[in-house]
Amino acid sequence: MNENMNEKQSAGAVQTTGHAWDGDLQEYNNPLPRWWLWCFYGTAVFSVLYWFIYPSWPVGQTWLKGFGSVSYTISDKATGKEKEQEYRWNTRSLLLEDLSDAANNTQRKEMMAKVRTADYDQILKDRKMMEFVRSVGKGLFGDNCAACHGRGGQGVAGMYPNLTDDDWLWGGGMNQIHQTLVEGRNGFMPAFGTVLKPEQMDDVAEYVLTLSGEARPGEASERGKEIFHGQVGGCYYCHGADAKGVQSQGAANLTDRIWTVVDLPALKTPQDKKTALKNLITTGVNNTRIMPAWKDRLSPTDVKLLAVYVRQLGGAK
Amino acid sequence: MAQSAVLPADQYNFDIVRRFMIVAMVYGVLGMTVGVYIACELAWPFLNFDIPALTFGRLRPVHTSLVIFGFGGSALFATAYYIVQRTCQARLAFPWLAEFTFWGWTGGVALGVITYMAGFSQGREYAEFEWPLDIAITLVWVCYIVVYVETVRRRSQPHIYVANWFFMSFLLAVALLHIFNNLAVPTGLLKSYSLFAGVQDAMTQWWYGHNAVGFFLTAAFLGMMYYFVPKQAGRPVYSYRLSIIHFWALIFLYMWAGGHHLHWTSLPDWVSTLAATFSILLLMPSWGGMINGIMTLSGAWDKLRSDPIMLFLITSLSFYGMSTFEGPLMSLKSVNALSHYTDWTIGHVHSGALGWVALVSFGSFYHLMPRLYQTKLYSQTLIYVHFWLATIGIVLYITSMWVAGIGQGLMLRSFDDYGNLAYTFIETVEFMHTPYVWRALGGAFFVAGALVMAYNMVMTARTSRREQAALEAKLAAKLAKA
Repeated sequence: MNENMNEKQSAGAVQTTGHAWDGDLQEYNNPLPRWWLWCFYGTAVFSVLYWFIYPSWPVGQTWLKGFGSVSYTISDKATGKEKEQEYRWNTRSLLLEDLSDAANNTQRKEMMAKVRTADYDQILKDRKMMEFVRSVGKGLFGDNCAACHGRGGQGVAGMYPNLTDDDWLWGGGMNQIHQTLVEGRNGFMPAFGTVLKPEQMDDVAEYVLTLSGEARPGEASERGKEIFHGQVGGCYYCHGADAKGVQSQGAANLTDRIWTVVDLPALKTPQDKKTALKNLITTGVNNTRIMPAWKDRLSPTDVKLLAVYVRQLGGAK
Repeated sequence: MAQSAVLPADQYNFDIVRRFMIVAMVYGVLGMTVGVYIACELAWPFLNFDIPALTFGRLRPVHTSLVIFGFGGSALFATAYYIVQRTCQARLAFPWLAEFTFWGWTGGVALGVITYMAGFSQGREYAEFEWPLDIAITLVWVCYIVVYVETVRRRSQPHIYVANWFFMSFLLAVALLHIFNNLAVPTGLLKSYSLFAGVQDAMTQWWYGHNAVGFFLTAAFLGMMYYFVPKQAGRPVYSYRLSIIHFWALIFLYMWAGGHHLHWTSLPDWVSTLAATFSILLLMPSWGGMINGIMTLSGAWDKLRSDPIMLFLITSLSFYGMSTFEGPLMSLKSVNALSHYTDWTIGHVHSGALGWVALVSFGSFYHLMPRLYQTKLYSQTLIYVHFWLATIGIVLYITSMWVAGIGQGLMLRSFDDYGNLAYTFIETVEFMHTPYVWRALGGAFFVAGALVMAYNMVMTARTSRREQAALEAKLAAKLAKA
């Protein structure tokens, strides 16, 4: 097949290459579609431009560094002063630019510096700083706390405390929240299964139910009250004489309707409530209510931001 | 019988083709079903039932290996063995070696899947097989090459048909990729450590990973396309010249593009730049195959109305064109900054895998069935049913992944007035739930289509057996009379 013939074909009917396989399998010899060829050249031009914008081909001991450049501010190591710097495009300089120059980042840096030096009272009183806490805290909480406490801090009944109410097991003051975050907490209640006789267990449970209005006072609860406040049970050591809990021990308030280990208000029948409560008193709480310590994972400023964020989720106390 | 010409079924070894086709369908249905299941796990995580073997991490390589190697690989064995015989007009060389490739490949995939579920994996994407299986696969692959090349050598045609170039480039490239990517130091029967470390290791993995797409899922399936499209259309291929140019451009350029999977990582910037440009340069060579396939039908477009098999083949080329346009786009640094690590990538790979690889295989199998079983296809209507189930499935799949991926990408990089992240990670996960449900539904459509096809295939085989028996009875009766 010579060139002349091919040209004649493209004018009129196109011919095949003259080969045939498997009976009828043939190939036309159409020229390359023009648009296809030009697009191919176009991609080549695009690529060459791309090579000159970004770092590309190695050449001898060096490489094409690209015409792209970015500018950013860094602090001078010698003087400690911020200075503007221009550098050729690469992923690192681009990151530095992103971190330093964007308008919202400037604001971020300023607010961060303000929070770093402020104490809790100052932050809580400052509307602008509180706004910043909510902005930064959302991400910090989502990445560090939400896995247990839920995205909104609502907790999981019976497992992880709800942080959006004003009932604090370990205290809702800034210093207490700070302590909880930094050192973690380990909730503990002894098991009374071997200490109390079955009928005593029954009576104590009955009494505890009356404290939050889950049951009416009666003879049984009166007997339970004595165990609770006496030497046999000794419950008041931790839960307090008024049964309102002792935050330094992480002991729960038994007089409200917020239950964090067993979710009593959610149970339907009085019998179920009593059984669940008795089970809890029998086994106690041992190494199942652990809040990890975050001091090695979060910077002091992050702890500060998170503590205020958690505080504003719930109420004051 | 006064017939001088030998029937193709007698002239060629069709038995191995038929068996690979059946295995491809079995592994295909299994692998796609696993895919739908893990898609459901992503939408409803309780579905892993806390059973380690059923968790996403273990089932994901089961899914990818079953569909790529079990379905795609077996489909390639079947069509390669069919095409090489017919276009070279030579019976398959070394039948016992071919037999070995059948058992080796089928068994290798099965063993691999079992080891994944038991928790043994190299942790290399699309190459999770542990080292003993890697060695076995290498052996099978070398035998595949020997059988194929020797058959080409024994051809009674002076010229080598274009489909064979594609298959041979695929055979050679996959051997190289497989061996280098799996170089490792074994520390036990099912445990090994890669020979490479750090960014070199990542680069090796994606040199392999991207060229697995390039040579396994593109070049070889183009070989399939170059035979079945003109055969089914009954027309010559559009352009011989285009086929030469796009073949060499494609296989030269593909090898360089793997780095685009590692943009914005510790991969040196210059490598990532080159990878992006070679991906852009790949666009037109990829489209060359699509043009050659679709333009083959020029002048016979009405076949799309009357021939459902043609519908499969041409639609597959359209999806091929779409995903080979999307790929270079996603390989640009700036686009990749948004698309990478999101479900956009998953959608992209499935528009290629479902739209191109699976549809072109289905079309080819429908072409093969009557020829391998020497009877009419059981039902044309069911081919249409399959076509629409598959197409609806793909569209649901890729659009839901665009929504999930682009949405997630935008959420992950949006900042509030203070330069803090506007969304937490868990919020992006919550956002993706709805698209995930749609994706699972799309996958279910696709599996339903494959099941319809499997039914059609079984019924065609049964018809064939019945007809054969009737023919033999007739013959026996005639012989008895005489």
